[in-house]
Amino acid sequence: MSQLKFKSNAIYGAGLGLRASHYQEVLSSKPNIPWFELLADNYMSDGGLPIERAHKIRQNYPITLHCVGMSLGSCDPLNINYLTRLKALSEKLEPAYISDHLAWASIDGQYTHDLLPLPYNAHTLDHMCERISKVQEFLGRTILIENPSSYLTFEESDMTEWDFISQMAKISGCELLVDINNIYVSSINHKFDPLHYVASLPAEKVKELHLAGFTKMDNYLLDTHSEKVHPPVWQLYRAAIKQFGATPTLIEWDSDVPDFATLHQEALTAERHMWALSQ
Amino acid sequence: MNLKKWQQDFYQGIFHPSQNNIQLACQGINTTGNLSASQRLDIYRDSILGGITDGLSGVFPVCENLVGSQYFSHMLTDFLKQNPSYSPDLGNYGALLPNYIAQFKPAKDLVYLPEVAKLEWLWHKAFNASDVHNNNAAIYTLEQLASITENEQGRIQFVLQPSIQLMQSDYPIHLIWEMNQDNYDGQKQVDLNEGEVNLLIFRAPDYSMHINPLNKDEFIFYQALQAGLIFLDIAKLTFTAPIETLLAPAIQSGLIIGFNIA
Repeated sequence: MSQLKFKSNAIYGAGLGLRASHYQEVLSSKPNIPWFELLADNYMSDGGLPIERAHKIRQNYPITLHCVGMSLGSCDPLNINYLTRLKALSEKLEPAYISDHLAWASIDGQYTHDLLPLPYNAHTLDHMCERISKVQEFLGRTILIENPSSYLTFEESDMTEWDFISQMAKISGCELLVDINNIYVSSINHKFDPLHYVASLPAEKVKELHLAGFTKMDNYLLDTHSEKVHPPVWQLYRAAIKQFGATPTLIEWDSDVPDFATLHQEALTAERHMWALSQ
Repeated sequence: MNLKKWQQDFYQGIFHPSQNNIQLACQGINTTGNLSASQRLDIYRDSILGGITDGLSGVFPVCENLVGSQYFSHMLTDFLKQNPSYSPDLGNYGALLPNYIAQFKPAKDLVYLPEVAKLEWLWHKAFNASDVHNNNAAIYTLEQLASITENEQGRIQFVLQPSIQLMQSDYPIHLIWEMNQDNYDGQKQVDLNEGEVNLLIFRAPDYSMHINPLNKDEFIFYQALQAGLIFLDIAKLTFTAPIETLLAPAIQSGLIIGFNIA
């Protein structure tokens, strides 16, 4: 990426996940947001308005491409068609980062369109690292891997998620997108110390953070991205900023999406914490 | 635990939750805290089926509006089981829903519903079709028509812009579609006995979407173009109007974007 078509692709501060209901406002009022995350899977069709809008957004803002379709933990072969489209999109939009999840989404070519859990052991570690390396080679760049929220654990897991992720980053060379809300949700669902999780991650590998709201169910927390960031997640975020420094942070809101001003306020809150704690 | 086998079992436990499949999917899952392994599987099932249903609601909003969200979800229960999604892009899922609705006995009285579903799917395809400037289907531009020899004229194969979709229906589904749009404030009644309609669905260069009724001549003409017929063969088809009166507006409106010589 020696010759950028756009002014810059570097990101800093607190960005927002771009949602279809906000396109118009973002394009017309050009709000003072440092960067946007685009869900790459929404921009992989052959043409049309979403791609045109993505181009326009990119002319005004740096972006990241976040994916849900690599299915990195699946035992299927990698989907080369998907990766080819992603690579083409990346060449058009020049994102700061491309990310996907520590999860699987498909088996026998059948997609669940969800992020499903994996047992954390040496076998899965080899499997993930091999596939991350192949993707990085195909795309010609390092990718970021995000920790999932989860609702089950496996008898065959013999390492913690934070150990698994740290080793995965070391072996595969990938970098990390740390979802603070996911850590908190999983810590309640599986009863571990979220502060210990954050403290155990390799700070030099952490390039981006995610924040979102969960929904409290009867016996567990559900990662719905449908509410404001909850107080204990802000608390964990502050610990993360102390640990990782001022790391680009994204507010995710996918269901019951509020008006743009509400989202913007969440981003400003994140920035206040970020700048106060990273001085 | 073989990871591939467990992923296959998990998939079956989600989409085909018989007692045996749930048991297989739950093997190796810890039962801790307040939730059993199968309750944990239920969380994933709700999330997966809910996510795909939301995706289909986005593609078929008029159908959902016509039957209500609850009925729409109920109608999809078996569809999701019987029709796996084979693309990582959820937007590619749903092509088979119109046929499924046509066979869905509880909705058999809503005779127009499968047709509305088909219209919504074609609208969705047109919305996401490739852009004209990225399309290499036509070798020659329309400006080059003037330099075509008489000998070549019959072998001209006109190329339609890539978003164009055609459909026929026994019911005035374009009116049903229109009155289920957010900004509609017209009459709220449709006469299902109005007779069949021929529809042209396309995305204009300014990205606006259009559903235009066609007369029989126009429909046959666009169908022939879409099938790639050469002009000589199109001219042999039966039209009530002179073929020039069909060709000229198609070119002027930008629906024909270029041509090839067969």
